[in-house]
Amino acid sequence: MKQFTIRRILIERGAESDSLAKMIPKRLPDIPKELVDSHDLALPEGIEEMDKESLRIIHYKGEFLKPCPGTKRYICCGYQILNVGINCPMDCSYCFLQSYINQPSLRVYTNLPEKLDEIGEYIDSFPERIFRIGTGEFTDSLALNYLTGWTDYLIPFFSRRKNCILELKTKTSSVESLLKSRYRERIVVAWSLNSARIVSSEERKTASLKKRILAARDCQKAGFVLAFHFDPLLYYPGWDEDLEEAVKLLEKYIDPESIIWISFGSFRYMPALKWAIKRRFPKTKIFDGEFVTGLDGKLRYFKPIRIEMYSKLSERLKKWYEDLGIYLCMESSDVWKQSFGWSPKTSPSLSRYLDHRVRKLMVG
Amino acid sequence: MKRKPLQDSPLQVDISDIDLSPDPFCMSFNFDLEPLKASIDRFGVLNPPYLLRNSDTDTHFTVVAGYRRLLAVRELGWSDMVCQILPDSFPPFKALLLNLHDNLVQRKMNEIEKAMVVQRLTRFVKHEQIITQFMPMLDIPANRQKLRLFLGLEDLEEPIKVSIAVERLSLRVAGLMMSLGTEDRLKINELFTTLKWSFNQQWEAIQWIMEIASREGRSIKEVMKDREVTEILHDSRMSNPQKLKDIVKVLKRRRFPSLMKAETEFRKGISALPLPKGVKISPPPFFEGIDYRVEIVFTKGKDLRDRLEKLSHLPGLDKITDFWKGPEYR
Repeated sequence: MKQFTIRRILIERGAESDSLAKMIPKRLPDIPKELVDSHDLALPEGIEEMDKESLRIIHYKGEFLKPCPGTKRYICCGYQILNVGINCPMDCSYCFLQSYINQPSLRVYTNLPEKLDEIGEYIDSFPERIFRIGTGEFTDSLALNYLTGWTDYLIPFFSRRKNCILELKTKTSSVESLLKSRYRERIVVAWSLNSARIVSSEERKTASLKKRILAARDCQKAGFVLAFHFDPLLYYPGWDEDLEEAVKLLEKYIDPESIIWISFGSFRYMPALKWAIKRRFPKTKIFDGEFVTGLDGKLRYFKPIRIEMYSKLSERLKKWYEDLGIYLCMESSDVWKQSFGWSPKTSPSLSRYLDHRVRKLMVG
Repeated sequence: MKRKPLQDSPLQVDISDIDLSPDPFCMSFNFDLEPLKASIDRFGVLNPPYLLRNSDTDTHFTVVAGYRRLLAVRELGWSDMVCQILPDSFPPFKALLLNLHDNLVQRKMNEIEKAMVVQRLTRFVKHEQIITQFMPMLDIPANRQKLRLFLGLEDLEEPIKVSIAVERLSLRVAGLMMSLGTEDRLKINELFTTLKWSFNQQWEAIQWIMEIASREGRSIKEVMKDREVTEILHDSRMSNPQKLKDIVKVLKRRRFPSLMKAETEFRKGISALPLPKGVKISPPPFFEGIDYRVEIVFTKGKDLRDRLEKLSHLPGLDKITDFWKGPEYR
């Protein structure tokens, strides 16, 4: 299991008595600990803005379960985000968190176990709905698991519920805790995938493409349902040959029948993110493509480029297996239609399509 | 509360005894001495400069405040003048603040001068204090990014600093230039200042130039030496605004080849349609959305009816939303 460098633990006042706040420091006995106020950002000069080597333990006062914000102008999958923390010890050049978060450090919320009953009650109060829940939106679902023990309490909790699935999305190969778990039902283990070239040039400190796929194979063998997310797709000379290699690896190691879905998304960003990235990664080439302002104000590849990437990758994956539940993340209906020949047309309709996948593969 | 006086004392000082290099307290850049010389010539020096006595250099005094006045009197041929001499124990940080406040009350500092202040402050105070205490005083947004930008300005080449000081070159463009080599940034500075690009145009163009270089695996210099750009620059029949417009077009075509091609195809398709007079059709911005617009200019209801009638019978309208995809769609 990969462990990341943590140089200090900052425990915010108010979190000290939470069970996780007591457990995490015990797992890092030699790391200095400091009790801090929530308004004290404790970011001394010389520490890099994202401060990925400090672990900040927080008693979170906001809502833990929230719908993915999406936008009306593009079709959204209707995902629910379980907010376990924010920021990530890995360092992908394109990461939206670089301009999204305005507070430094790896931030983990320690009162989540205490809030689970409330979340459970909420989910149970909509028995007709399927909740597709993920923890991988604002942090990696598994990267800090060796410290936070997220899987130890989230997997049993969600596995017991009737109308939801928990998707653990990662770029690591740290699946030991999953494999040890005795729960499988309603748990989806998902990997963000990209070409090996992009993994090595843009996704710092992540597991290699092959390691991710081997970890996925291990999870599949152990009975977990899998998902993959080709997001963000980046357009560069040779992108298609590189992705062909990634698909070949999937073909080699993964049984496509228990894949619940594969999503595609092309690189998109709010204007401010470009400068946050350029500051941290001045040599990156991810902005070389032809980006135009989208309907939501984010910059996206010019539409025909996106369509080319989606359609080619989809055709290639379908040669492997027809029923992969391929969908697009935040795209317009006409891009769906031109890429795949069909479109869900609306966000609720895409939700229904994915809910159907859940029912088919996971829920009795 | 009453402030302690400076305990300075006046002294007739030989100009040749004063170190007239700008360090360590000066914060003047790209100034015109002539009006000051004319004033001094007529009325003399109204406020004497402040000096510190040197202990370890060849010259006897260092300028704390009044650098420009001293340069002016030297150019006027004065051999000496009355200056205020600060006590030997006067702390250098306090001397810097004295000059800063003297400047702040008298004039608007240009961006390079502000950068000089920021740079000099780093010798005495931490970055955090510069951000919270001094940047607001200098009318600079108080954040780390801006501090980094201002600290970098002093390292830029003289012609670029002059362009910034006279507000011919955008500050954020200068920030981007810091990541380039000397030759590249001097070339860009020359392009932007000779043709008088607006700050927004500069910002867009420098990104395009850098991204074209990255996309094409070429140097900035090679991108700027592009045949089309060079020809436009040397075309004596074109005015500067025309040159600028055409260079923007060339750069945009290279930066966004597919988008530009789509726009051209759409225009070609539209111009091939016999649209009635006063009718204009616009695609969605960047062809990202799906809604097209039609604009009909008319002065009488009858004109509108005629134009709508003609439009409704126009062949080829069904394909209009595909025009941008290429000639085969027309």
